[in-house]
Amino acid sequence: MRDLNDDPGRRAVAESIERGGGGLGVSELLAKVRAARGAGAVTGTGPGAGGGGGLGSGGLASEVPGPDAPAAEASGVEAPAADVPDQDPGPDAPAVDVPDQGPLGPDAPVPNAPFRHAPALDVAGLAVVIAAAAGRHLPAGHLAVDADFFDAGGTSVHAVELVAELEGEFGIEVDLDEVFADARPMTLARRWLPRLDPTHHRPDIAGSVPTRDGTLPDPASASVTTVPLPPTPLPASAENTAPASAPITALASAKGSALPIPAPRTPPAAPTGHEGPHTRARQEDLDRILADLALADRLPFADAPEPLPPRRLLLTGATGFLGSHMLLDLLRHSDAHVYCLVRADDEEAATARLGEQLRGYRLPWSSEVRRRVTVLPGDIRRPHLGLSDELWHRLAHELDSVVGVAAAVDFLRGYQSLRSSNVLGALTLAELAAAGRPKPLHHISSIAVFNEVGITSMGEDDPLAHVDRLISGYDQSKWAAEVALRRARDHGLVVTALRPGGIGGHTRTGAHNPLDLSSGLISAFGRFRTVPAFHCLNAAPVDWVSRVAVAAICEPDAWGFDYNLTGVPNTLDDVVRDMALGGMHVRVRDWDEWRTDTLARLDADPVPELAFLGRVLRNPTALKLVEATLKGPAAGGERTDALVAALGLPSAARYDARAQLKTFEKLADDGLARLPQKDDQPYLWFSETTEGTVGPVGAAAETPCSMALTLSIAGMYQLVKERRVDVTGEVSCTAIHPEPLTVERGDIWIRPEEGIPQQHGLRHQLLRYRLRLADADGGRWWLEGRKYARARRDLWRQTRALTVEIGREGEAASLLGEVVVPADSYVRDQIDGIKVDPRLTGQEKRAAKLTWLAWFGLEMGRGLVAPFARAAADLLDLRRTPTLSEHHR
Amino acid sequence: MIFRTTSFRTTPARTTRPALRKVRSTAALRPLRHRLDPAAVEEIPLRTSDGVLLGLTRVGTGHSDRPAVLVLHGHTASADMFLLPETRNLVDVLLDEGYEPWLLDWRGSCRLPYNETGRRYTYDDVALYDIPEAVCRIRQRIGDRPLFVIAHCIGSLSLSLSLTAGLVPGLAGVVSQGVFLTPKLAGRTSLRISVMGELLKSRIDYIPVDFRKVGLWSKYTPLFALASRGASCPDPTCQILHNSAWGSGASLFVHENLSEATHERLAELLGPAPLWILPHLRRIELARSVVRWHDTDHRYRALPPNALDAAGRIDTPVLLLAGSENGLWQDSQKLCHEVLAHRQPQLDVRYTEIPGYGHLDTFLGRGAALDVYGHILDFLGERR
Repeated sequence: MRDLNDDPGRRAVAESIERGGGGLGVSELLAKVRAARGAGAVTGTGPGAGGGGGLGSGGLASEVPGPDAPAAEASGVEAPAADVPDQDPGPDAPAVDVPDQGPLGPDAPVPNAPFRHAPALDVAGLAVVIAAAAGRHLPAGHLAVDADFFDAGGTSVHAVELVAELEGEFGIEVDLDEVFADARPMTLARRWLPRLDPTHHRPDIAGSVPTRDGTLPDPASASVTTVPLPPTPLPASAENTAPASAPITALASAKGSALPIPAPRTPPAAPTGHEGPHTRARQEDLDRILADLALADRLPFADAPEPLPPRRLLLTGATGFLGSHMLLDLLRHSDAHVYCLVRADDEEAATARLGEQLRGYRLPWSSEVRRRVTVLPGDIRRPHLGLSDELWHRLAHELDSVVGVAAAVDFLRGYQSLRSSNVLGALTLAELAAAGRPKPLHHISSIAVFNEVGITSMGEDDPLAHVDRLISGYDQSKWAAEVALRRARDHGLVVTALRPGGIGGHTRTGAHNPLDLSSGLISAFGRFRTVPAFHCLNAAPVDWVSRVAVAAICEPDAWGFDYNLTGVPNTLDDVVRDMALGGMHVRVRDWDEWRTDTLARLDADPVPELAFLGRVLRNPTALKLVEATLKGPAAGGERTDALVAALGLPSAARYDARAQLKTFEKLADDGLARLPQKDDQPYLWFSETTEGTVGPVGAAAETPCSMALTLSIAGMYQLVKERRVDVTGEVSCTAIHPEPLTVERGDIWIRPEEGIPQQHGLRHQLLRYRLRLADADGGRWWLEGRKYARARRDLWRQTRALTVEIGREGEAASLLGEVVVPADSYVRDQIDGIKVDPRLTGQEKRAAKLTWLAWFGLEMGRGLVAPFARAAADLLDLRRTPTLSEHHR
Repeated sequence: MIFRTTSFRTTPARTTRPALRKVRSTAALRPLRHRLDPAAVEEIPLRTSDGVLLGLTRVGTGHSDRPAVLVLHGHTASADMFLLPETRNLVDVLLDEGYEPWLLDWRGSCRLPYNETGRRYTYDDVALYDIPEAVCRIRQRIGDRPLFVIAHCIGSLSLSLSLTAGLVPGLAGVVSQGVFLTPKLAGRTSLRISVMGELLKSRIDYIPVDFRKVGLWSKYTPLFALASRGASCPDPTCQILHNSAWGSGASLFVHENLSEATHERLAELLGPAPLWILPHLRRIELARSVVRWHDTDHRYRALPPNALDAAGRIDTPVLLLAGSENGLWQDSQKLCHEVLAHRQPQLDVRYTEIPGYGHLDTFLGRGAALDVYGHILDFLGERR
């Protein structure tokens, strides 16, 4: 994975963008466009070639087909208007109103008003340049001018590269955050162009109000009007069905001036035109949200579904983190056959993708799973989910449940970029649920619907956030989807909204979502040993979230309500204590300080796996999301708790250190987190000296041998999981070398292999030493030592005496003997002499020392008792076994 | 001492009919419960060379070229545990994947009466007679076709003793669930087994699991009362199994993983546990390795004194399976994998952990086909 930080050259470019370095002029740009599009296209895009628009658009549509059919269609439809800007908007190219857009897909914006007033060829040409540049970063190799870069498969990394390339090659200075907010080439062109020409009109976003495809009735479009209404105080609530842009704009701006807005504590993004700092949603996003909400009103009225557990259900998002776990839970806890909608070209590819994803999340993908799953290639962003009419119709009549888990989870992208997946996709599922046989729709929403900085409560029935206070596109899209589906409830549709908070890794398998924010935060906490002063983390492990969600889906009496699947929140104290328990003492910092510090550390020592966290912490809108998440109150889940109790499910438990252990291990395996390691500053250490004799194999042990070792642990993890202690120090034995030998690598295992004797008998293993030694002449040696527990009364000696074998590296043992820790040094060195990491406080040091002594004492006690227990059992076995006494034989 | 008080009946309740002493008839197997075609289920009488009648069942398919799979149940369970009619069971899955299942009811089966009456045995007998003679009988029928073994719990532990004694050579593969060469119980369970065994062995022969068979007021009442402490399920049979594993305090399965029908049938699926087996079990557990009980009886000299020391004789690939929540044998399988990897690196041994599963539910669980059998099929498929 490439990252901005990996490439200083690219960063320099990005910085030059920040400084606002100039680039090519418009004419040079257009020259480039001509070169790029070829002669045929030039005739269509030249400044004086207005009449050639049709040709130009045809060339565009064929040269730069979109990533999928609707997008391609969209570019084909839009281009004529863009290429013929000076025409008055006729019925074929309405400026703002969009009544006749039946054949358009949901992603297809209509021609825009500003092109009437500006030399829109520039905009179109520029959009083509941007699209061509963007296409090079996409899997498909091309991008339609009005298709979303991220929807077409672009990633955050690609976006960074694209911005650098646009600036470097064409002088188009697009802010990275602008790309995240709305990554359609046409929009980027429109946003950049006015900066060259300040007289250029701001695009009127109302013109790009979307329309639904022809499968839904179209009553709402009539309410979309170009006439600015007087600024009457319309309720700006979600239920407002008239997405009229002008009054809302007026209202929002009035609000903005009337209410004091606290100054943002995080640095704002580079100013984008007239917009203020990131305390309010962008007006064009709000307009779009309201327009999207109105789409719900086109749903038909639905009857009540049969109250039976599902037998055939459709699941979207089965390749995702939560969806994959829910798929397995649905199969385990119901008898349902599951249809999985998977984005792929054909069924074979879809099946392969699903299998690969399930395995990646450590879930089974066997013939037993496959026999209960039907994979449908499709795309939630497309009308009818990209399914054939016949299949759509069949599903509408056969399915008895629809479960929508699919969503684009990206905290950097804007609403415009996320809406087709997160909002329109949810509405398409509602359409499917309402069509044919009545069936409930279970929608995975998110606690993000409350993600407003300063919200006071997040109960299941509490009011959602104010949408104009939701800054990040992800929060907006989840809010819009849930509110749209609330409207669908008014049409009789049974909609269950299941709102997970942070979804932590699986408590048993450690499977996690590596690009999830909570994975990144946990990794950063452990890696840098600092935490921001958050209020609480509303996170629950994926296994619990999935299990409860599935229980609600399978229980008809649970349908139709809202559930917060947030589990028991972790407070700051909980997290700090959990980490201390694992030997990773963290320090709490103020949020801004933590962010600056973490970014500085990520810059100084880049961790590719955490690059996404760096991007989130730099993005002003994503920052608002993180800030709201960290400062929000604990989410309430009374209805969920009641459901869990009534169905006898595992009740929510805090996602504590033990539950997170597997996930943390896997995060460390994947390179995100970092476990304490041998070469770190030790957590705790003490010295051990031993004295004794060794001799050649078969001869008496007469040569003195002594060891001066330092035993240390880097954290409690290695004790509990590996039962291992690190060793450094020296071994002096003249039979090997006159000079002392250095321990290059040393380990001690406590009760290795559970103490199982190496050979049949009562000699149990207590400790195993394995040292790699280097002598002064560079010779390499190995030393293997064991302490044994026997059923004998010399317990004190058993804990101190070490039987050793020494040999040259790669050879058999040449020396055997025994060394013993002198009785007088044992307590002095190994109890009184314990040292703890000086960075810890006195209390932490005492706790660390006590934990070590308790753990080690208990292990040694168990080890010493084992042979005695066997001897005692042998004695008991001498008792006569009575003859059978039961009478009813 | 509560068991000495006369308050608790030490003679059978008046309602318990005395069994007629068997003079001419012998032990009879309780019929299997399944939903297979009765014609496909062939019961093969098997009497071991020490004179014990066992049950061997072949599920025929009409094909004579399928690899055979012998399935061994755990102690006090029976072949019924692989034939649950209410879920997708192991036999269904094996049949669909082209195998020929063979089910052995060894002498610890609850379809047979030996746990309650009849002669006592140790796991040495199972390893020396039951498993090798069943394998021999199957081989007579299947000829050169590959033979796999899937073994659960004590079935697997006994199989490890047979394998290391070289009594069942040439298997195509072994799947071991729960425990294999290195049995490990939680310290608390081990202590309770030892103490309870010593206290009760002169008073009762076995620990029942079916409350309906012993009545509300009997000498077993305190055991059921102890087992109910802290239990989440009101069913006494479930309490003594799920919450206490025959009084040992361990948990046999994850409650949520059983279907309701299976939960209702627990008393049929798992029988009473004999107390006289505890000394052998204790010796094995304290040694953390499978050890022979009979040191002076030369009939058993074919068995190694310590199976772990003789693990080098294992001549077949082994898949060690275990539920991550195994409340009885803990992480014995993981330990076994570690120990064998270190001491016998030449062996083909792999370990798979089933997340969220306990001990018995790896076969009885309603989702076992989804979560467990896939691993078994993968293993068998690679070697068929």
